[in-house]
Amino acid sequence: MTPGVSRARQAWTIARIELRRAFLSKRGLWVYGLALLPAFAFTGHALDVTWQQQRLARRGLTDPVLMAGVQTGETLDAVTARLGPPAEDRASVRTERARGSGASATTTSVIEPAVEARFVRLNITRPAYDGSRAARIYEFEIYGPDGRQNLALGREATGSRPCNADQGPEKAVNGSVVGGPADRWCAEAWNAFLQVDLGAPRRVQRFVVHHASAGGEDPALDTRDFNIQVSSDGREFATVATSAGAALVERRTEYRNVTYFDGRQVARFSAVDGVVESRRISPVVDFTEDRMVFAGIFQYFYLRLAVFFGCLGMFMYLFSGEMTNRTLHYWFLAPARREVLLVGKYAAGLIASAVIFGGGALLAFAAMVAPQDAVEVQAYWDAGGRAHAFWYAAAAALGCLGYGSVFLALGVWLRRPIVPAAIILAWESVNGILPHALQKLSILYYLQSICPVPAPMDDEAPLLIRLLAAPAAPASRPMAILGLLMLTAVVLWFAGRAVRRMEISYGAEA
Amino acid sequence: MTLRLPSVAQGKPLPEAVAQGKAPPEPREGATRAERGVGAPASERAGESGGAKPPGIVFDEVSKFYGEVLGVNRVTLNIPAGITSLVGPNGSGKTTLMNLMTGLIHPDHGSILMRGISPRNPEALMRITGYATQYDTAPRWATGFTFITTGLQLFGYGRADAEDRAWKALERVSLTEAANRKVAGYSKGMRQRVRLAQAIAHDPQLLVLDEPLNGLDPLVRAETIALFRAWANEGKHVVISSHVLQEVDLISDQVVLIANGMVIAEGSIRTVREEIHEHPSHYLIRCRDASAVASRLFGEEHITEIKLHDDRLGLLVMTRDREEFARALGRIAADGHRIDGVLPADENVDALYEYLIGGES
Repeated sequence: MTPGVSRARQAWTIARIELRRAFLSKRGLWVYGLALLPAFAFTGHALDVTWQQQRLARRGLTDPVLMAGVQTGETLDAVTARLGPPAEDRASVRTERARGSGASATTTSVIEPAVEARFVRLNITRPAYDGSRAARIYEFEIYGPDGRQNLALGREATGSRPCNADQGPEKAVNGSVVGGPADRWCAEAWNAFLQVDLGAPRRVQRFVVHHASAGGEDPALDTRDFNIQVSSDGREFATVATSAGAALVERRTEYRNVTYFDGRQVARFSAVDGVVESRRISPVVDFTEDRMVFAGIFQYFYLRLAVFFGCLGMFMYLFSGEMTNRTLHYWFLAPARREVLLVGKYAAGLIASAVIFGGGALLAFAAMVAPQDAVEVQAYWDAGGRAHAFWYAAAAALGCLGYGSVFLALGVWLRRPIVPAAIILAWESVNGILPHALQKLSILYYLQSICPVPAPMDDEAPLLIRLLAAPAAPASRPMAILGLLMLTAVVLWFAGRAVRRMEISYGAEA
Repeated sequence: MTLRLPSVAQGKPLPEAVAQGKAPPEPREGATRAERGVGAPASERAGESGGAKPPGIVFDEVSKFYGEVLGVNRVTLNIPAGITSLVGPNGSGKTTLMNLMTGLIHPDHGSILMRGISPRNPEALMRITGYATQYDTAPRWATGFTFITTGLQLFGYGRADAEDRAWKALERVSLTEAANRKVAGYSKGMRQRVRLAQAIAHDPQLLVLDEPLNGLDPLVRAETIALFRAWANEGKHVVISSHVLQEVDLISDQVVLIANGMVIAEGSIRTVREEIHEHPSHYLIRCRDASAVASRLFGEEHITEIKLHDDRLGLLVMTRDREEFARALGRIAADGHRIDGVLPADENVDALYEYLIGGES
């Protein structure tokens, strides 16, 4: 037997011995968890979809044409009469207390006949609808019988102590309502009042009050009850007008969501007070969307994290793990070249990881496809779906090939993998923003080019995330595979050199 | 017979020893036992049974450092076939030498040939070499039997052949009863034996066994020693290590004494013992009338050097015979000279001697 053949046999013997441990070691079981996580997630999704379909189909299916015929603006009674009882019917009622009709931001009180007065008082008896204690008056206008001129404008105004120095009584007679809180009179006193001196006795007939909402505030803060008094001497006042605000009423709104199901699509109609306001018809499972989700999970989770850390665990162990366990010398005492040992161990790790992660990718893909509509799936298979499945599995397996060689080499050089692993993870992550020449030195660059579907990216994602997740300019698939193989070969060549020089050192020795 | 002592002051081999060590070893020839006057060496017996003697284990100026720490320093050895014991205290470098022989570590300087094969070529060397290490580990999954058959697979043996050999090896170390139990559940002695069985299963010509007698009960120990003897008679190299000279005293064809990473003496056990004994020893004598004591000592034949201590209250003495020296001191004291104390001045060699010759047993 030529030395080449016998060395290959020896490498295969080593691989066979290592395979059992690579697949079955108890400490390595977490790798299966990583590999099967997407499959579990999609299985959960499939089960959820199936349950949903069963639940919706319980009361019978609806004709899709009828479903599509429902328009907004129809009454719900008309819809249920036409389509029959819905698969789901959820109703809720919301009630709120609100001001009744008739209330407004500005009130006008007219007295008949007009009276003569020099002083006019606005007494606030209930300041607001919501129970707030502060009176908020943006303007108080007084007109005579001719009604043209605001007699109060610019006159001397007094009143209860203002909430704030810039919200004094004069703000109620300044002719303006648009200046915000600083353009109002505000007082928190019990029975607050505002008094205007017209300068001389005048005939007054019409009183206009601009309340909180006239100045842009919440209508619930408008004055609820007030009265107006007049006086010629400023001591004796007579009430000339009383205004009681509108009473509070219960406002009741009925919301109803009804769902119809035609075996494939779900129609959801939302009605307010019995009238359809919105309609949405969508499939229970959206194959296109699910495929995008799969592409995203595969690239962002599976390749970048699961395969990465899985290979870290499996391949690092081959040398540095055995050094830690003090069993590496058994291998070094075998009549084999160190390179043969390296190749044998790498082959074992590669077979195990490729089966575990390639299989995990295929299982996840199968779980993703399982609940989909049979017709759509058939169309997908015919339009290259099989190739997609194959290339997903191939990308996972090639990921094991590339990452495996890197971690095997690291395990030969170093005993503590955490820091270099973090550096490599960071290197792989920033891959997308590196200059083109450097991109080729990362495993992910090639793997992304092998993936059948580009990873989805939301344009609204933050810039940093988009940069980090951005796929590198993809190479063509054969070039990517070739590049990955070459990169792996170079890394393995370095590892082979290092393993020749490797020495057994288990720490303290006698 | 080579005797090399580290000089206490310099921590390096004495010049003449270095000169001798530098003489290029002749791998084919080895150091002949006849020259040393040791009877019935294994290599000669092997020679009788036919064919040329195999080349020895040859170390040429081999040094190994662990970072700044010295592992072994300028070791030159030529070990012929037969049972050779590496003897030295813990940490002296025995395991380092054995790891160097089997290529588990590589020398920083110098070269090693094992029967003409470099340890950097495990493909060739490990086919004829078995090494039972001190590393008390075995794969979790393995039973004693699968542990050995798995190792044999790497030699290219078929399944039946490997199982046959594994069984024979287990028989030789009396471990057949526990063959199908997990190694992890073995006692220390059993693990020792299963490692020995693993090292001999492929019938190697070079056996390197790190403290192989540790943890063996007397019966198995006697059987194991008989096994070593049988192998030596077949012309194999059997290199074993021990930190108790007495343990390997009777069974070794030759002994290599090691301390602080240096070979102190090598040769037959008898010559090693004598030469260590005759090597001049330094003592510091504490006494008030130093000059009077000195004049008395000048008359003694075994005293080779006397120096007055700097504080004039002591003497630095070099003697060739420590027993004669002790008697002489007794006579001087009896004559009324007050001697406050006698301290060995070159503690390293002295302590090593005491330790090896029986201090521990």
